[in-house]
Amino acid sequence: MSKKAAFWIFISGTLVSLIILLALTFDFHQKVKALTHAENLSPQVLAGKWAWEKYNCNDCHTILGFGGYYGPDMTRAYWRIGESGIRYAVEKPEQAFANSFRKMPKKNLSPEEIDNLVAFLKWTSQIDTHDWPPQDRKFKLSSEAKRLVAGAGISVGAALFKDKGCFNCHALQGVGGTTGSSLDKIGSKLDKEAIARYIEDPSKVNPQAKMLKFDLSSEEIEALAKFLENQK
Amino acid sequence: MEYKSQKVAYPYFVIALFLFLLQVLFGLWLAINYFFTLPQGLVNVFPFATARAIHTNLLVLWMLLGFMGGTYFLLPDETKREIYSPGLAYFQLVLLVVTGVVALVGFVFGWTQGRPLLEIPRPLDFAVVIGALIFLFNVGMTMLKGKNWTVIQGTLLAGLIVLALLYLFGIPFYHNLSVDWYYWWWVIHLWVEGAWEMITAAIIAWILLKITGVPREVVEKWLYVELGLFLFTGIAGIGHHYYWLGAPKYWLYVGGIFSGLEPVPIILMLIDTFKHVKHRQLEIKNPLVWTYAVGCAVFHLLGAGVFGFVHTLPMINYYTHGSQVTAAHGHMAFFGAYALLNLTVFYYAIPKLKGIEFFKESLGRVGFWIMVIAMTGMGLAFGVAGVLQTYLERVMGLGYMTAQGEMRFWFKIVFSFGLIFLSGVIITIYDLLTLKPSVKREG
Ligand code: HEM
Ligand code: HEM
Ligand SMILES: [Fe+2]
Repeated sequence: MSKKAAFWIFISGTLVSLIILLALTFDFHQKVKALTHAENLSPQVLAGKWAWEKYNCNDCHTILGFGGYYGPDMTRAYWRIGESGIRYAVEKPEQAFANSFRKMPKKNLSPEEIDNLVAFLKWTSQIDTHDWPPQDRKFKLSSEAKRLVAGAGISVGAALFKDKGCFNCHALQGVGGTTGSSLDKIGSKLDKEAIARYIEDPSKVNPQAKMLKFDLSSEEIEALAKFLENQK
Repeated sequence: MEYKSQKVAYPYFVIALFLFLLQVLFGLWLAINYFFTLPQGLVNVFPFATARAIHTNLLVLWMLLGFMGGTYFLLPDETKREIYSPGLAYFQLVLLVVTGVVALVGFVFGWTQGRPLLEIPRPLDFAVVIGALIFLFNVGMTMLKGKNWTVIQGTLLAGLIVLALLYLFGIPFYHNLSVDWYYWWWVIHLWVEGAWEMITAAIIAWILLKITGVPREVVEKWLYVELGLFLFTGIAGIGHHYYWLGAPKYWLYVGGIFSGLEPVPIILMLIDTFKHVKHRQLEIKNPLVWTYAVGCAVFHLLGAGVFGFVHTLPMINYYTHGSQVTAAHGHMAFFGAYALLNLTVFYYAIPKLKGIEFFKESLGRVGFWIMVIAMTGMGLAFGVAGVLQTYLERVMGLGYMTAQGEMRFWFKIVFSFGLIFLSGVIITIYDLLTLKPSVKREG
């Protein structure tokens, strides 16, 4: 290979990659508004982002997976511990983490700053991260299920029934597996609470039950029970 | 040393080494935070976050000072003339060091931009930009006046300019968190997998040219090919950070494919280093310098190429993203590619600055091996902790702190290797600052 050929490898390699990055950056700016619900970026959310940066929270906690690894990720903190959990940790870390082998500093945020932080974390919890982080999925209906609902105009429970694999064993209207019973008439046999209790942990209701306990949030169980209650 | 003005490099090297030592001390403190329960009162005044900001900013500062010193050392030799203004070179050093010290002390008192690795507060960013502009001006003028253009000079200058320009993307306050991180990576990723690779490739090419006597034509041809591949894979490879931050899904493909190819130029650099050393036309005066050069190429491949590749594909990164696996890679890569590069330059330049032709290298060799072995151990310990975290927290769904409890042991291992690493750093710094001529050739 001549030096000239090497030079052209350099120029073309660099340009191709640079053009890809610039074009996709342009596209990113078109799409990021929808993916992050930028319409909800209120002044309070922005003030919350300021507070997040002012107290250097990010050098202990990751957010969107970036930052220090010393504390749990904050992207979905709002789902995981909710508003009250966030307030408790920030206001009284010495109590919240009294028994933890790692401590969080008490930073004396003003009540207003705490409100703003909560608003910020509420906003981050609805960024479309393609279901990252995996450990926090269980705290919220999966985004796949929600998309299914929006796309097909069906109930959340129906989407979950399909999404979580219930059809592998159970049938509805003749569609689905035969390992479990058909659930066409389940709503006339059990009420919503009974269905929910069963889904939550089948072996507790019936020690002989072959159905497994699934990894479902209480929100998801509620939605499934509501859907099945109407199968009469 | 042929040119007087090369000596401006020396204070850059000395300060860089001192900051390296401090960086490692703060690293040890961070590791203690991970396995030892500190009292709430101490955590309130000096939290992990502050120490982490200091650890990482010291890292960036000493590496940049090392690059700058290295550039000032190499420049007269390449351009065949003195540095345009040694005065500006000293002034710029003082400016950057003062800015750095103010920033580090500021962190302790809570003065921070609050964004990881870019914690330096915005007003100080302007001082950094001025320092960088003076540096670029001085380097650019030396090259212009020298009128002796080479591919090495061009690459170095381009790398330095790109480095400075990219820093600007880290300064604004972004409203949207996703956009914020999108551009954060223009600084961090495009630095370490773009601009810094250009600088490294240029410096390594120059050192190989000097110590092996392989014809410039050959070295520069390889340099072009490496650069082309580095930038082709590295620029769009930024997508490996865009998988989960609120960007469209096609980044999973773009990031996976391009960054999956990133090890290729690193492998090429290793082959090329070996080849030049094998076909050398000069006797190697101080074998330790090429031990460092080859060590850098090997560890670059291990830390960036191998430890980078293992978590770069989206189906793996989904589980490892933002875990201790990332920390394992961060340490191995920064050490392998950039700490060793700087130390290679120091071991090449400092004897010349002191007028020593052959130096005693037994102590330096001990320092090298201690650091390399300890960092490998530390990287693996972070890695085991990371795999545990990934499995317990992300696959099994245990709570964050429950998983951390299971990982505690591995942080004690990290700390132990860290102590060994520290001893290697102390030996190396002592050796570099007190190099002695050896009566006859060693090795
Ligand atoms: C005794 C040696 C060292 C120890 C014990 C140590 C320990 C640590 C710890 C505990 C963290 C924080 C990780 C977190 O966010 O939770 C960290 C971060 C970091 N350290 Fe070190 N460190 C040491 C030396 C070094 C060296 C020599 C380098 C570079 C050459 C380095 C580069 C980094 C980087 C880049 C980060 C940020 C990592 C990331 O964001 O993934 N450290 N270190
Ligand atoms: C010398 C070059 C490199 C250095 C110094 C380096 C350093 C780093 C650091 C410090 C981080 C953590 C940043 C943070 O979140 O705080 C990181 C992340 C990452 N690096 Fe590198 N890197 C290098 C090359 C590479 C290469 C060649 C690859 C791929 C083949 C790679 C793949 C990754 C990936 C996938 C992540 C994201 C990890 C995550 O999702 O948490 N890196 N790198
Ligand atoms: Fe990267």
